[in-house]
Amino acid sequence: MPKSLSISAVAVILLASIPLGYLVIRATGSGIAVAAEVIGREKTVTTLMTTISLALLVAFFALVIGLSSAWLIQRTNLPFSSLFLVLGTLALAVPSYVSTYAWIALIPNFTGFAAAVLILTLTTAPYVLLAAIAALRRIDATQEESARALGLGPTQVAKRVIWPQSRPTLLAAVLLVLLYVLSDFGAVSLLRVDTFTRVVHTMYKATYDRSAAAVVAMVLVLLAAVLIYAEQRARGRAVAAKSGLGTIRTATKIDIGNKKYVAVAYLFVLSAASIGLPIYVLVTRFIAVSNDLDISKLVSAAAATVTAALAGALLAMLFAIPLGLLAARYKSKVSTIAESAILVTHALPGVVIGLALVALGSKLGFLYQTLPLLAFAYAVLFLAKAVGSVRTSFARVPRVFDDISHSLGNSNWQTIRKVTIPIAAPGVITGFLLVFLTAMKELPATLMLRPTGFDTLATEIWAATAISQYGKAAPYALLLVLIAALPTYLLSRPDRAQVDQSRENVGL
Amino acid sequence: MVIQNYERINLRKYLGLAAGAALLFSLVACSSDNQDEAAAELTIYSGRSEEFIGTFFADFETQTGIKLNVRYGDSAELAAQLLEEGANSKADLFIAQDAGSLGAVADAGMLATLDSTVLDLVDPQYQSDDGSWVGVTGRARVFAYDPTKVTELPSSIDDLLDSKWSGKIGIAPTNASFQAFITALRQLRGEAAAEQWLTALVANQPLTYEKNSMIVEAIDAGQIEIGLTNHYYIYEVAQSLGRAINVKDGFFAPGDVGNLVNVSGAGILNTAKNSAGAAELIKFLLSNESQNKFVTDTNEYSVLPDLPAPKDLPSLKQIGSPRVDLTALRDVAATQRLLVRVGLL
Repeated sequence: MPKSLSISAVAVILLASIPLGYLVIRATGSGIAVAAEVIGREKTVTTLMTTISLALLVAFFALVIGLSSAWLIQRTNLPFSSLFLVLGTLALAVPSYVSTYAWIALIPNFTGFAAAVLILTLTTAPYVLLAAIAALRRIDATQEESARALGLGPTQVAKRVIWPQSRPTLLAAVLLVLLYVLSDFGAVSLLRVDTFTRVVHTMYKATYDRSAAAVVAMVLVLLAAVLIYAEQRARGRAVAAKSGLGTIRTATKIDIGNKKYVAVAYLFVLSAASIGLPIYVLVTRFIAVSNDLDISKLVSAAAATVTAALAGALLAMLFAIPLGLLAARYKSKVSTIAESAILVTHALPGVVIGLALVALGSKLGFLYQTLPLLAFAYAVLFLAKAVGSVRTSFARVPRVFDDISHSLGNSNWQTIRKVTIPIAAPGVITGFLLVFLTAMKELPATLMLRPTGFDTLATEIWAATAISQYGKAAPYALLLVLIAALPTYLLSRPDRAQVDQSRENVGL
Repeated sequence: MVIQNYERINLRKYLGLAAGAALLFSLVACSSDNQDEAAAELTIYSGRSEEFIGTFFADFETQTGIKLNVRYGDSAELAAQLLEEGANSKADLFIAQDAGSLGAVADAGMLATLDSTVLDLVDPQYQSDDGSWVGVTGRARVFAYDPTKVTELPSSIDDLLDSKWSGKIGIAPTNASFQAFITALRQLRGEAAAEQWLTALVANQPLTYEKNSMIVEAIDAGQIEIGLTNHYYIYEVAQSLGRAINVKDGFFAPGDVGNLVNVSGAGILNTAKNSAGAAELIKFLLSNESQNKFVTDTNEYSVLPDLPAPKDLPSLKQIGSPRVDLTALRDVAATQRLLVRVGLL
């Protein structure tokens, strides 16, 4: 393994572990006795149950919706399939707090566990949809046809051909969904569901005793670690490979006949619920109270949002590339632990990451409450998303290309630079877009770490809704969704280079 | 030997983009670094929203020429952030929406003692007992009610325990003002009696809301008939909805713990670089002009002894706030534990 790679990987791991380190220090700050008492509280146990059941239910429904939508869009002759793909992904542009406000505005008593399941499912289903589409596109139709020719029925084909190849991608998406539910605050706080994030947040706000809150956050970390370990075991060591020459043949679309009306209605309802409704409520509120719209403030907030998110995404990719290479090419116990640490950080509530960086940043004086530190916060918060897609795309570059490159006289580093990275670039760009998109919507860490006077669209939305001026929040929310729609659209487009990438054997 | 033609992504284009972005954000970062500018500057952490206090800051800037860098946020979260920053904090002044947040920061020894010229302006009841912070506006606890449905107004919080109110009361247990009220309840009646009252309230099946404004909206929508909230929310909600609402403020009998008058206040940080400027801002906020503006614009009570109450509301003297040490309201942790025990949190 190239030395520079291992050094950069270690550096990134250390940086990304700052929030975890902060939590451990705070949690043990008041002593083990206090920590034990907090963990043993009945409230902690019920919170654990609520969080786990919420996460599992949301993951289940997101999987069902994502898979069914992906199959309908990719594998059937559904009309308007590309439109539905864009709409299905567009839900990523709507932050969970915005869609929750919209639903509450429509249904006054909209609250509680079931409501949270609904909102979070709609928010996370796009991740599964994207993963399932990508997985389905990569499967070679000839394999399925061979299976059918050998006498297997459709379910058998799904089980023995499609599932093993799509399993890693789908499991990674499910893990992201689970970790997202663990970390979500916007929806659960408005719907008054006591997940760990909400409890930690309430404890920070009320007790000013950061120790007890940190202890509860540690329980969250443990929960996340369990989920990550489970996903790694389930994923196994599978890397789908195809023997034989030729490109992938995309499967012929199945004709679903009259059922296509049902399918269209189904997808339409999903889009209406996840995007249509929030936009409708935002627009009507905006029109109702639209007297003094401060255009310059709107524009500066938008510029701030994009700048900060861009910086964060760039930094995240800078961190993710050495880690992704490490995980894809030089897999070891160390790389697995590093990946797990990053994924666990992804489950942490933004308020924890924010306070960790406040504690550290305030000591660093010149860096505190500056844009670089905010970008760093975004990078640490969303590194998991970046590393996931980078790792997958690096893993798909055939190793034999490395050998060819070496045989042509390139060093390890030159190979990475000239061969691996350019080929894996689409996946790297996907990771970049995901981080960019998520960073634009981020709120708690942004509130704490932003330079004074630097307001993003998300903080402006918060400022207005904090004093219940939903009409005032509407233009900012609409603009946020609009701006976020661009990377979302790019994410949903087919990956042109992907078609060739499952090849292992080049016929030497 | 067949080698597929892999699409080569033009890395130069993306590197160019990255370099451009790096340049852009370093420019922005430099421009937001105000540290080395002239001393006529003040950094404020404000738990009061820009909507309500922004104009006061703008007026102050025009009058004195001192540039204000204001960080808006939630009072309790800002307090947590200040505690985390500790001696490295950049803030000069902390303006909070409730006494609890100020008390927490004062407890950590981070607030400087205010000058007597500032403290003397305000009634001792509306400031800390050690001179570390001073109240700026008064916020009275009330019961908001639907005047068409509620004809017999409760005179004490104990009246709310009557079964006729079952399922018709709204509260916001996660809200700082409600928790301040419960802390005052614990102070005045003792822990056991406070828990007793809360248990009886829970038995009356109150509806819980995340925010005070939602309570008022719910009364207006007819979901509940009465709610425990702060006095100014009926004005806030009417403004946000753009129409008159079917909700009025009601007060319990004078001296009842339900009439607690809390304050928004300000304190100067020990680490302040511009304490003189901070003191000037506090005096500005306590001037007759500003206090009158608070009464008319945000419908809050003034902490100065002789100013009128917001329209249609009784004066602070008439309300009869219970005698509670506002500084003691920072003991929110114990209140929270109590609320957890009775199942409200």
